[in-house]
Amino acid sequence: MSDVAAIEVRGLKVHFPNRSGVGAVRAVDGINLTVARGAFHGIVGESGCGKTTLARTIVGLQKESEGTVLIGGRDRAEWLKSDRKSFSREVQFVFQDPLGSMSRRQSVYQTLEEPLQIHRFGSSVERRRRIAELLDLVALPATVLDRLPRSLSGGQRQRVSIARALALKPSILVCDEPLSALDVSIRAQIVNLFTSLQKQLGLTIVIVAHDLAIVREVCSDVTVMYLGRISEAGLTRPLFREPAHPYSQALLSAVPSPDPRIEAGRRRIILAGDPPSPSAPPPGCRFNTRCPVAIDVCRVEEPMLRSVPHGGVAACHLADSGRRPVI
Amino acid sequence: MNISAIRDIKDWPWLVLLPVIGFVLIGIFAPAIMPYDPSAQDYSATLEGMSWNHWLGTDYLGRDVFSRIVGGARISLVAMVIVLVAALAIGVTIGSFAGYVGGRVELVLISIIDIALALPSLVIALALIGILGTGYWSMITALTLAWWANYARMSRAVVTAELQQPYIEAARVMGAGHLWIFVRHILPHVLALVVVYASADAGALVLAIATLSFLGLGVAPPTPEWGQMLVDGMSYIEEVPRLVVLPGLALTLVVVSFNLLGEAFALQKVPRPVRGATLRRRRKARAREEAERNAVETGTTSA
Amino acid sequence: MSDAQPIYSIEDLVIDLYATTVSVRAVDGVSFNVRPGETVAVVGESGSGKTVMTLGPLGLLPEGVTVDMKGSARADGSELLSIGSRQLSDLRGRYFGVIFQDPMSALNPMLKIGPQLARQARRFAGLSQEAARKEAVSLLARSGIPDPEDRYNRYPHEMSGGMLQRAMIALALAARPRVLIADEPTTALDATVQAQILELIRQIQREDGIAVVLITHDIGVVASVADRVIVLYAGQVAEEGTAMDVLTRPVHPYTRGLLASVPDFRADERAATREIPGLPPNQIRLEPGCRFAERCELVEAGCRQHRPPLQTISASTSPHRVACPVVLKREGIAVHV
Repeated sequence: MSDVAAIEVRGLKVHFPNRSGVGAVRAVDGINLTVARGAFHGIVGESGCGKTTLARTIVGLQKESEGTVLIGGRDRAEWLKSDRKSFSREVQFVFQDPLGSMSRRQSVYQTLEEPLQIHRFGSSVERRRRIAELLDLVALPATVLDRLPRSLSGGQRQRVSIARALALKPSILVCDEPLSALDVSIRAQIVNLFTSLQKQLGLTIVIVAHDLAIVREVCSDVTVMYLGRISEAGLTRPLFREPAHPYSQALLSAVPSPDPRIEAGRRRIILAGDPPSPSAPPPGCRFNTRCPVAIDVCRVEEPMLRSVPHGGVAACHLADSGRRPVI
Repeated sequence: MNISAIRDIKDWPWLVLLPVIGFVLIGIFAPAIMPYDPSAQDYSATLEGMSWNHWLGTDYLGRDVFSRIVGGARISLVAMVIVLVAALAIGVTIGSFAGYVGGRVELVLISIIDIALALPSLVIALALIGILGTGYWSMITALTLAWWANYARMSRAVVTAELQQPYIEAARVMGAGHLWIFVRHILPHVLALVVVYASADAGALVLAIATLSFLGLGVAPPTPEWGQMLVDGMSYIEEVPRLVVLPGLALTLVVVSFNLLGEAFALQKVPRPVRGATLRRRRKARAREEAERNAVETGTTSA
Repeated sequence: MSDAQPIYSIEDLVIDLYATTVSVRAVDGVSFNVRPGETVAVVGESGSGKTVMTLGPLGLLPEGVTVDMKGSARADGSELLSIGSRQLSDLRGRYFGVIFQDPMSALNPMLKIGPQLARQARRFAGLSQEAARKEAVSLLARSGIPDPEDRYNRYPHEMSGGMLQRAMIALALAARPRVLIADEPTTALDATVQAQILELIRQIQREDGIAVVLITHDIGVVASVADRVIVLYAGQVAEEGTAMDVLTRPVHPYTRGLLASVPDFRADERAATREIPGLPPNQIRLEPGCRFAERCELVEAGCRQHRPPLQTISASTSPHRVACPVVLKREGIAVHV
């Protein structure tokens, strides 16, 4: 069991029909991804790169157009069809907007009790005990139990939604930008909560994020997406130290440091223009329209993922295990 | 009284709701209140004036007018409740089903609902009675079939809106089935809205029942019913106007106060996220004006 | 640049906001100013009053909120709190340029981009029709919009988020303002586009020498563009000074906590992100004493009784000031009088 990946995504494509009815938005366009048990995996990229769609497809909130998702070696589509409940005890999802993901009519107690009721967990006394455990786990006081989601602060709401996701003791937690709705100092609290939960419960966590600093802080592995494809992936530390793909380099360079001394002397890579539309990706490498080091072959032939110096993989013609382009 | 100027439930003149409360209480306890059998004829005491024996006098068959008005309240209340419950059940079921299932089924059901809505409910009721024949139960059936579509459309709208909320997805991720999601999350929203509108519709329904009976298509003669009483009183309008004025007054009071109740609910309760709440309130206000006008007209025909 | 006279200054500003049932003291005795060619960052979390403080005196608060302002806000020789709404709107148009987080709050969706710019340039910079058109095209070009002649005739909905942000910056610059106020200008943008926009703001400032007031909660943005920083907590100034002073030698416990809670992936030592416990205070209850006391590790009995004075710890044209006598005493930091 231990050598079976927690999540394995094979040749995944998710296309949405265009509003005009012609063509399709290729939100996810051919992704292979393996998440080992116990990993803390970050998926980063800019809006429209398909990272949220990928996360939603992993948990079955979105149907795949092509390819398969295996959870612990089991086909997710089959599993959901045959036993939705046991699937939800294995994989849980944390939404970006904690307020929207909770019924505005239900108190915190009812919200936390709901998954237990759906899965017919114990008597009401046992459920009450489990809810108390969950509150402890996410460090919320029992006084929040009677309150409605609207009267909680942003950080408390996200804690409740994490507690709800943990109610069924899943082994895999997929989180879609769980921090972006929060204030800076609260964000740090929730980040620390995720790391301690992972240690305490041995969870496998996949987190979609656009805050690279936080990804480096907590994730063991990272996948960088661009226009529905993986542009680079690997262990977080080495990848952040020497990103091989020009896009990762630009993305990392774009994040300003909170230290003005670093900022003053830092060379910034400013990319030109916006990402192309995901319904009409450019031929060749998807990044070639904005890439400062693109060569002729980049405009014609799509690069495959290849091993690069930091030990991971990158989809760039100019990179291989011996060298990487530097922009 | 300028109703549209009242914006807060606290400012509501609760006193005007007394007729609603009175109507419901009288309807429930009618058998205990009625001093006489409302259908019992007494040819020795026809068209008597008000007295200690007959508080509101008697009609041309010597039946006690007070008992008949109280009995009429019961008939109207019972009929109204049956029609509302049935129309709500049908409307909420069909509308919610359409909204939840979506796709082609929804399209077909929506078309049916729209057709039903396009025709005035009273016209539908008249046509159905034409097919079913007259009588209490065919009146109930006809009114139910004429009334459900409104609730169906509202239910569908609420279901469609709620289904798009992320917390529905959250429930699905937790492993909830369709029935769970519908009953636990969607139905409360549907009922909250629909029941408010039903309370406003109650007055219109009482009026419709009276109208049908007035036209001889509803409750059959010996049974005390306000519309029926209006017809009976018409022939004696010159000599004993009371026979027309009293049931007319009862009807008007009940209809107007039900509409005010609906308005009070609408001010407080109509959930904001549902689209076009203001629009619907305006439409409702127009409907209320129309109902009031009808009530007055019914009164004038008889007065 | 640092000895130039301030071109927008706020003195002891107090702003109370009234909603239907509650009143909130959003800004509680804040002073700040900005000089030509300088970028001042106003930093704080949501609810700190940073936007109310900066946009309130300009009359740019959301509708439906009643405001009561005391103190002083001066620009271009006028007292903003006492001039008429007409003069204020004129001053706002010609003296201040404002960039919002959401470009659609500034651009009219029914009008093409170019004419909106040209109208602004004609009205406030007094250009002729033809000159205004040329100015608009050149503003678009300056804001880094490719093919400006073509974009001139585009509607807002035909442009991407990054392009709209540029168009709004062009609009803010059309009246040739002296002060550019940017309210979370890059929060909604992706990292690579944010870098583009920050570069654009830096470049405009270099070329035009205007003053920039940057409202943000993103410390990285502050570090990359600001000369001076004002840290607000619950409507009061916690700490202010040059960006270098405040961000590299923070003194106030809130500033320290805030900076510690921002991870920096360039710094190599892995200091676990620290967190500030608790939540910002509820400003509906006005209490004496330090607003941060509830969440502060160094809190002493006196903190809850008196409002801590803003004390200068390094005197210069941009003095470093801290509103926390406790930390100054503990660490033996000298106070300049």
